[in-house]
Amino acid sequence: MADTALLYNPTTLQTFALLTLLLPLLSFGIGALISERYAWAVTLCAPFLVLLSLISAIVVAATQWGLGTLPVAIPWFTVYGYTFSAGFMLNATSVCMLVIVSLVSFLVHVYSTGYMAGDAAGKRYFTMLGFFTFAMQGIVLADNLLSIFVFWELVGFASCTLIGHWKDKPQAIVAAKKAFLLNRVGDAGFMVGLMLVWSNTGTFGLQDMALALADQPVGGWQTAAALCIFCGVAGKSAQFPLFTWLPDAMEGPTPVSALIHAATMVAAGIFLLARMSFIFTPAALDVVAITGILTAVVAALAALSQHDIKKILAYSTISQLGLMVAAAGTGAFGVALLHLVTHAFFKACLFLSAGSVIHAVHQGQHQAHKSFDVQDMRNLGGLRKRLPFTYITFILSGSALAGIPFFSGFLSKEAIFSALIGWADNGWRWLVVVAAFGVSFLTVLYTYRMIRGIFAGDETVTADLAIAEPPVIMRAPVALLAGASVWFVFALNPFVCHGWFLQYPELPPHHTALTIFSTLWVLLALGAAGYIFRSRNPFESALLRNTFYLDSYYEKYIVRPVLAVSGVTNRFDYKWLDGMIHATAYGQVTVAHFVAWFDRVIIDGMVNGAAGLARSTGRFTRSFQGGKIQLYIFWAVLTIIIFLIWTLV
Amino acid sequence: MLPVHHLLYLGALLFTTGLMITIIKRNAIMVLLGLELMLNAANLNLIAFNQQTPGSPDGQMFALFVIVVAVSEVAVGLAIVLRVYRYFQTAVPDEIRELKD
Repeated sequence: MADTALLYNPTTLQTFALLTLLLPLLSFGIGALISERYAWAVTLCAPFLVLLSLISAIVVAATQWGLGTLPVAIPWFTVYGYTFSAGFMLNATSVCMLVIVSLVSFLVHVYSTGYMAGDAAGKRYFTMLGFFTFAMQGIVLADNLLSIFVFWELVGFASCTLIGHWKDKPQAIVAAKKAFLLNRVGDAGFMVGLMLVWSNTGTFGLQDMALALADQPVGGWQTAAALCIFCGVAGKSAQFPLFTWLPDAMEGPTPVSALIHAATMVAAGIFLLARMSFIFTPAALDVVAITGILTAVVAALAALSQHDIKKILAYSTISQLGLMVAAAGTGAFGVALLHLVTHAFFKACLFLSAGSVIHAVHQGQHQAHKSFDVQDMRNLGGLRKRLPFTYITFILSGSALAGIPFFSGFLSKEAIFSALIGWADNGWRWLVVVAAFGVSFLTVLYTYRMIRGIFAGDETVTADLAIAEPPVIMRAPVALLAGASVWFVFALNPFVCHGWFLQYPELPPHHTALTIFSTLWVLLALGAAGYIFRSRNPFESALLRNTFYLDSYYEKYIVRPVLAVSGVTNRFDYKWLDGMIHATAYGQVTVAHFVAWFDRVIIDGMVNGAAGLARSTGRFTRSFQGGKIQLYIFWAVLTIIIFLIWTLV
Repeated sequence: MLPVHHLLYLGALLFTTGLMITIIKRNAIMVLLGLELMLNAANLNLIAFNQQTPGSPDGQMFALFVIVVAVSEVAVGLAIVLRVYRYFQTAVPDEIRELKD
């Protein structure tokens, strides 16, 4: 292709990659610097800048796709003779992510102009949205682990501010804090991993590291480093021990949830797994697979009994991320990425559709001055007539989530199952495969329950509200994303996942039997869902709704001991360290008081005394010459009398 | 002829009275009056002691001088008091405090 070759100029490519990265940062900068009076300009300029970023991302992807790896590195800083470089590494994985991140971010920006219209802090919202996108693009583009770590932290920071966007809501602040802290736990592991990698390979560059690792035999440190990095992944991608922040993060605005779940936050973990695939040893991969499948099962079960529609979506994300991690654990990183991409589209669509439902019901509620929880599924129902468009997009993206044939989710789940079956060679691995099928079954159940709960049946609380479809600016992104939930976006054959996307050497072989089985399995699950949820939810259990009381355990065994220890150290600090300082301070003040007294009384006293003596002498002698003539006479006469007495007697 | 010490007592009484008036009285005219009394007490003493030397008129002459001096002094003094009164609208020296700090 001649025109592609013409465009294939590393400098041009670099410029476009840099633009993709920096335009969202520009949006952040404009938002941060512009005055509150021109806040409306931000809502126009932020989506526009992200659109430009999307266009450059598409240019980069179109030229770089399938052309191997293009590293671009410039020296960043030198410490003790070690030069750290910053740069891009453009390959199929990163350019693909680049497009998806900017696309989802752009659609979320557009959607947010409708959803957040009238929000007093809209400027801050769009500002941070741009920053979030910038940070994520940084992770995607960075060519070394150190830069990735920096952007990784920035993503965590941006998500924290966006989850806590409505800072008047105490739950939002708690959720933001929780997201930040749980990510810190994971990032502590990531940092240890960084040190291990540095001390053993002497480089942070991904390519140099891969070369260094290829040369030396697999060491125990490598497993340790891989697990440490996976710890960071578990924090960011909400894997088993650290996933509890994600359901709580639903306190943030819904478009932010869409962004977090589809492109910018949880995707970072899976992306890092793929980026760092070379470091994972078989033992580490086993841990990754088990953690992933455990997360998938736990979250799928928890999703079954949630009432809050956003929490159902959050748990479904955790569950799907678990499947991706499990796929990565089999060594099929490309498969994990395929599911990440399909999931990005349909989950963003689901979240934005849920946002439309919330927005529409909230508007109606606002007009009628009624108060109920618009996110609680028990208050919803029967909205299919009121919100037909949202109903259709929900069905489309929900089908993709459930993995129904002819939708993108089916393809990527198919790929995951192929990868798992190709990997399973002993007892416990087959258990993982069975669990994955179980998760797929549960996915159908909770998706069916959610859509039925919102749209089917009769209206209850909402019956007398004026509910209307959201404006076009909110419907257009949803429609686009719903369109991307269909199979042909990813592969021409709706039953074979080998499309344009999967071009990795570790491509799992296609089994026709598996396709038939999983199709039947999903249809069976659909039938079962229809049967199970025809009246009330049999999975109504506090144990599931609270995710097996994981948060209570954290509260009991981690938070409280930590608080107790910090209380003790605080008291020690207050009593002893501060006490010592205070005692020293009091001693000094006492000495200073004594010195001041000495100065005032003795030194000043001497000076003042001399002055006072002179003054009183002066005053005394002056008193004889007060200008009173008769007094002069009196004194003169008195003196003469004294003189006479003295001389004569 | 009066014994000399009676005259001296009278002179002392006059002098003391004059001195007291000079010191105590606030009005400048009264002060001048006191001065006159003191001068006259001195005159009385001069006359009294002149009695001891009958052939010499020294004392009486001196007394005459004193009277002349007293007249001129009163003339000058009253003139000053008049000027002061015109200028300050008072004849009380204590109330004139222009030079006082």
